[in-house]
Amino acid sequence: MTLLAHGIGGVRDLPVPDWLFLWGGAVVLVLSFLALGTLWRRPVLERLAAGRALPLGLERMLRSTALRFVLGAGSAALLVLVFLAALLGEPSSAVNLAPTFVYVVFWLGVVVLQVVLGNVWPALNPWLAIADAVAWLWARLGRAWEPLAAYPERLGVYPAAALLFAFTALELAYEEPANPRSLALAIALYSYVTWFGMATFGRRTWLHQGEAFTVYFGLLARIAPFGERHGRLVVRAPLSGLAGDDRRPGVLAFIAVMLGSVGFDGLSRATFWQDLRARLEGRYVLESPGLADLVGSLLALAGLAGCILLVSAAYLAAVRVARAVSEHRERSLLADFLPSLVPIALVYAVAHYFTLLLVQGQFAIPLSSDPFGYGWDVLGTYDFQPNLAPLSPNSVWYVQVGALVAGHVAGLAVAHDRAISILGPRAALRSQYAMLALMVLYTVGGLWLLSQD
Amino acid sequence: MSPDFRRIALIAASLGLILSLFFALRSGDEQEQDAPPSATTTTAATVPPEPTVSQPPVRPKPPPFIPVSIELVGGAPKDGIERASVKRGQKVRLFVSADVTDHVHLHGYDLTAGVAPGKPAVIAFEATIPGRFEVELEDRGVQIADLEVRP
Repeated sequence: MTLLAHGIGGVRDLPVPDWLFLWGGAVVLVLSFLALGTLWRRPVLERLAAGRALPLGLERMLRSTALRFVLGAGSAALLVLVFLAALLGEPSSAVNLAPTFVYVVFWLGVVVLQVVLGNVWPALNPWLAIADAVAWLWARLGRAWEPLAAYPERLGVYPAAALLFAFTALELAYEEPANPRSLALAIALYSYVTWFGMATFGRRTWLHQGEAFTVYFGLLARIAPFGERHGRLVVRAPLSGLAGDDRRPGVLAFIAVMLGSVGFDGLSRATFWQDLRARLEGRYVLESPGLADLVGSLLALAGLAGCILLVSAAYLAAVRVARAVSEHRERSLLADFLPSLVPIALVYAVAHYFTLLLVQGQFAIPLSSDPFGYGWDVLGTYDFQPNLAPLSPNSVWYVQVGALVAGHVAGLAVAHDRAISILGPRAALRSQYAMLALMVLYTVGGLWLLSQD
Repeated sequence: MSPDFRRIALIAASLGLILSLFFALRSGDEQEQDAPPSATTTTAATVPPEPTVSQPPVRPKPPPFIPVSIELVGGAPKDGIERASVKRGQKVRLFVSADVTDHVHLHGYDLTAGVAPGKPAVIAFEATIPGRFEVELEDRGVQIADLEVRP
């Protein structure tokens, strides 16, 4: 059993000290006003997004069937290994590879890959690789597979948002997120839903509407300096992939889950939340521990949902104000500023999870030598001793606050660029007060969560 | 409109800068003033040395370790989650007395000790890793303390 926030890991960061919180907040406000004073008047991101095409030879290699096959087979094998470890291995997160792999190597590690290298997830996605292999076999047998149903367009990415919510609820609200058996069940359910969706609506359709990780990692990859444009791989300015709008239904819900879940992770470590939970659980813990667990989980679920609703409500309010003060009232603007939230979602994750990736990530080294916890030493790394304090608390604080401030500036820049490209310079400036207030709210809120003890 | 706007925004920015510098520096001073006393007396709040039978006798000499004692009633901490703060490098001893049988687990340091009615759990360790650590009644999954190790 574990009460830990974010699913796994025993070392939590010390709260950011008050003076640094105030400094961070001050820098955010000053940078915001400076930004308003010096903003550019012609959109630039759209132009930068074109980028420069990678050399054709390199592109051919990256897109080669051989590489695709190797990566696909490797990731499919990993999925099977992690699932078997979760299902059959020792049922403790300390000796079983599955919890560390799912919550740290996969959930946090792939974020790093996406932001640095661009959208590599489709090449690594084990569910897609297995589905592709089955489809290939099916075609070799001379049969054709028609999707059973047409995907209802207005559903957009809502299925992916719902599945992402389910994953974050498992990680942050469920009583035993790091229990390998719970993870085995979660992996089985998720695989079933994914393949069922692919078979029903077609592989690509489900991938882009219902595969939560494809949508999640895909949004983050738009920050990366590498991308795809007109069918070619390009190198481009970071953030320029966020130019334009995102009109898929459900993207707001999806991004709200991204931001709200990390926010709740911070909230659930605060003293008042721990005390509230202990008070509620304490009443039942002696007579019926199961009921106490349920009460704790329900409280956390309510907190998680509350954070997500708060994030969405703040965005909707800001967009409404922006529309009211601009001269383009017929345009909803709702989809226009969604990409500007992606950098903020990224830095929320960085601020809350980079130490978890650094510390708990090291445990993957000994665990991968003995994934089931049976005492094997396949890779000879069983004895690896993780360094539990790789960074001083000071460095951790500066990275956290620095990341939030950088994300704030990036978000503002993307929002402003979008505003001038659709509203023109004058109306854009006026519409930006609302977006500025929204981002200050998100950033200072994030800083506040980090400073809670 | 636009040049005016810029001027106003820049003035607002510099005003904001001055104000925030003022507040940030002021609170920084307070922080420094606060720091020395709290650094010397480490955990005033942690040990009201209760006359429990299970605890070791308290000598007038300063103990070589920081004691943190928690009393559990009905499987939950009697006075709410215990909060303790120690400095890195200090030796800490965690005493937990309980009216239930369970295991006490200190996360991060990953130390576990059994506890039972009349048999308190004692976990002794040196606080080498900075951060915040939960102490949990492992089988019941109840948090009983939150230990902070300051740099």
